[in-house]
Amino acid sequence: MMSYVAPADAPSVEDIFPPEAAWRSLMPILAVLLCWGAAAFAITNSYYLLLMTMVPVWAAFGLSWNLFSGYSGLISFGHAAFFGLGAYFVTLAFIVFGLTPWLGIPIAGLLGAVAALLIGLPTFRLRGHYFALAMLAYPLALLSIFEWLGYEEVTLPMKREAGATWMQFADYHVYVFLALALLGGAMLLTRAVERSRLGLALVAIRQNEPAAEAAGIDTLRRKLQALSLSGGLAALTGGFYAVILLVVTPDSVFGMLVSAQALTLAMFGGVGSVWGPIIGAVILIPLSELLQAKLGAVIPGIQGVVYGLAIVAVILLAREGLFWRVKDLLRRPAAQAMPLAPAATPPPAPPPRSEATDAMPLLEVTGPLLEVTGLSRAFGGLHAVQDVSFSVRSGEILGVIGPNGAGKTTLFNLLNGFVRPDAGAVLLRGQNILGQQPNRICRAGIGRTFQVVRPFARMTVADNVRAGAHVHGASEAEARALARAALVRTGIAGQARMLASQLTNLQLRQMELARALAGSPDLLLLDEPLAGLGAGEIEVLIDVVRRIAADGVTIVIIEHTLHAMVRLVDRFIVLDHGTVLATGSPTEVTQNPAVIEAYLGKAWAEHA
Amino acid sequence: MITLTRRHLLGTTAAGLAAVARTAAADPAEVKIALLVPLSGAWGRFGVTMREGAELGVRDVNAQGGVKALGGAKLKLMVFDAGDSAEKAKEAAQRMVADQPDLVAASGAYLSTFTLAATEVTERAELPMLTLSYSDLITNRGFRYVFQTSSRGDDQANESIPALLKMAEQATGKRPQTVGIITDNTGASISFVKPLRDSNGEKFGLKIVVNETFTPPLADATQLIQKVRAARPDMLIMPVTVISDAKQLIEKMNEFGIGRGRLPTICSGIAVADFDMQKNMNPALLDGLMTVVANWDAKGEDQIQAKFKAETHEPWMTQNGISTYGDMWIIKAALEKAGKADRHAVADALRTLDITDGPAMFFPGHRIEFDSKGLRENAGLVIVQWQKGTPITVYPPELAVAAPIWPKH
Repeated sequence: MMSYVAPADAPSVEDIFPPEAAWRSLMPILAVLLCWGAAAFAITNSYYLLLMTMVPVWAAFGLSWNLFSGYSGLISFGHAAFFGLGAYFVTLAFIVFGLTPWLGIPIAGLLGAVAALLIGLPTFRLRGHYFALAMLAYPLALLSIFEWLGYEEVTLPMKREAGATWMQFADYHVYVFLALALLGGAMLLTRAVERSRLGLALVAIRQNEPAAEAAGIDTLRRKLQALSLSGGLAALTGGFYAVILLVVTPDSVFGMLVSAQALTLAMFGGVGSVWGPIIGAVILIPLSELLQAKLGAVIPGIQGVVYGLAIVAVILLAREGLFWRVKDLLRRPAAQAMPLAPAATPPPAPPPRSEATDAMPLLEVTGPLLEVTGLSRAFGGLHAVQDVSFSVRSGEILGVIGPNGAGKTTLFNLLNGFVRPDAGAVLLRGQNILGQQPNRICRAGIGRTFQVVRPFARMTVADNVRAGAHVHGASEAEARALARAALVRTGIAGQARMLASQLTNLQLRQMELARALAGSPDLLLLDEPLAGLGAGEIEVLIDVVRRIAADGVTIVIIEHTLHAMVRLVDRFIVLDHGTVLATGSPTEVTQNPAVIEAYLGKAWAEHA
Repeated sequence: MITLTRRHLLGTTAAGLAAVARTAAADPAEVKIALLVPLSGAWGRFGVTMREGAELGVRDVNAQGGVKALGGAKLKLMVFDAGDSAEKAKEAAQRMVADQPDLVAASGAYLSTFTLAATEVTERAELPMLTLSYSDLITNRGFRYVFQTSSRGDDQANESIPALLKMAEQATGKRPQTVGIITDNTGASISFVKPLRDSNGEKFGLKIVVNETFTPPLADATQLIQKVRAARPDMLIMPVTVISDAKQLIEKMNEFGIGRGRLPTICSGIAVADFDMQKNMNPALLDGLMTVVANWDAKGEDQIQAKFKAETHEPWMTQNGISTYGDMWIIKAALEKAGKADRHAVADALRTLDITDGPAMFFPGHRIEFDSKGLRENAGLVIVQWQKGTPITVYPPELAVAAPIWPKH
């Protein structure tokens, strides 16, 4: 549905999404790997070579954690489960079936991916801290199971002949290169996910899972995909770790410290980026080892104290990790130049709808777009919404008003699938959408915004909107075109390349509207879009809403600012105590004594 | 300015070269050996005792003329912290072999997991490594440079239970008929009770009347001890590796009236004979408790024990102190036999060593001879019993400082 045509002087798709050559993000990755490899060539000391192997291994494990938890914001305390499964698989397959790690490690990766699906399915029913704690249980359970099975200590047999066949090399350089290959793979995987729809969906989930779901993202599927990739990578890394260490014990691969290691490295270096876990590993692994080597035999235990203090200091100075701190410092001077030079001239707003236009026959009305009948929902004894029926005509702006607690937001939550009704029916173009998941309802054509704006703060305005465009945009080009159109329509195309965190309150509201609009909804549910805006800002936003409506999008809006609403909407429904108190034109409703009483009290109604 | 710098530079270089030449020439008689043990983390306390034993050993060797075959060369001990994980132990081992290429032998690394990880490194570096760890994996990997001075966990069980039964028969005139088992689920403990469990006790002519396994840390010992109290076995096998679990079990036994040696109780490993047991609970409750270990303060070592206690202020040496002290003497003996400070020669010497005096006196069996796998033959074991607040050797008779006390019912 691309009925909207942007004016000629609006920023182009290329202005909004500056094309970024693939090599610009690939080059630093290749450069780091090559430098690391070259440095290894110059070194002959086997101890330093071992350290140069351990750093990429832990960095890869950090990346695996980051791939899921860093982007989705769902903290996993249990990545050791995958790491340990990989390590034990490679070791036991070697001992029992004589399987070389060259094959064992890739198979371990698959095993980890499958294990992640099995773990994810039940665990994703939990949220927040409950999810994090439930994840903790898996490695602990596996630890006990492997102890019980009698695998307290398992070693990879030494092959004195044809070592290379068994991934055993006398030359330690080979291990460094293998570890670098693993790390390179992990970085490329992370980069690919970051640039894909999965990456955008994960970031959306991290910022606000319900909002992501409302924007048409199938959050459960995306989370499973991410955990599966992450678990696979963790298991792969665990398998290689076993080859390096040659001894596997439940504690060394399933232990609390293993999961904590992944978290520490990623959080120290910067969560949600390709570079964070690597920065963490490059600094912390050698630091910890150096302290162990220098102080361990002199003042035993002091290394733990120094290590802990270093981490505390960094977390105090750079809460989101070193990577983001440095990036912020570098970005600040450039930020001023960010807004696109010519602010797009917004198209002229249509004349305000007045009582007069309301009296005119509504433009090409073809029956109701949305038909709600007998909708009810109670929370315990509280009837939040009770037997509510109304219909929304195609092309109209319908205002929903009512005192606090009247059930307005619950009504929206019922319409877009967040809350399941106890009774009633909701027909969208004659199709019942009741009981469907929010992302399905979004795809069916109902978009929404929230009372409290939830921007994806670390993303550009353009990417925020693009996240919403993926609902329908079949191709990336189409998604970008939709996002651009939405940005122009809401009047913030000029800020497209700024970070969402840099926007004013008004711009945030515009951006959220654009995000909902990018999904090409037929019906838009706006939950108090004017909240917290000044008088002048209200006018700007009202103009935007009017323009959207003029383009043929049907709008249902909840708002308290009555004087603004009166000028905006075609029709009101008034809710009180969960029931429909009145419906009608703005004039009818504002003069209805029952409405005045509900809003202002009995005395006022009598006075009026 | 330029001349000054150049002259300065030349001077420094010359001095440096001279210094290098001097070290090489003047001190030929120093042989580097290493100790790799946990000095930090959960096992740090045990590693410290090992270091104390090694330091005393090196000092005694040097004081008694060093390595005579090398013109009285002195031993020089390099200490490395194995940390608290297999990964750290491996890294420390790698650092040891990379930074000290002229090491001739090493000893370590206390916990069998650490020993397994560290010997993967020393084996590849062809550095002989002595260890007191119990795991049977250590000498079952086909390695050529590892030498295990302790008898392995399962051998200790097979050997100690008949000895204990005999001990009981001698003391009471009656052979025990029933046995109870309470064990934690750690590897060492499970392998200790395995011979008993596998044959359902028949192998030793015993009937198992209580058979319980728990996961450390133990929350409450009441139920376990209640079962023992109800079944009233003639003896209790109770391998426990965590000191707080041991304390709970022993205090609970006392509460139920089967403590203080009334029910003969045999543990495994050094945890229950550690200094910390005595510090953390009423030592009187420990009286009569026995444990099977690979080595302990024994008869005929009075002089060394006295010196060790005076220097370290430790109440006794433990297996860690005495075995590591003995390791220094084994390395010295190997050096004498090899006749040169070379790790391969030392390894060869260790493989063919067969002595029954000197360092052999610090190990049960009084003989140092390694089999083709590197396991000390007839390594034997020691049974230690708490008597009047001190864990002392009561078996075998040639090492015992006191007779075992087996209660007469």
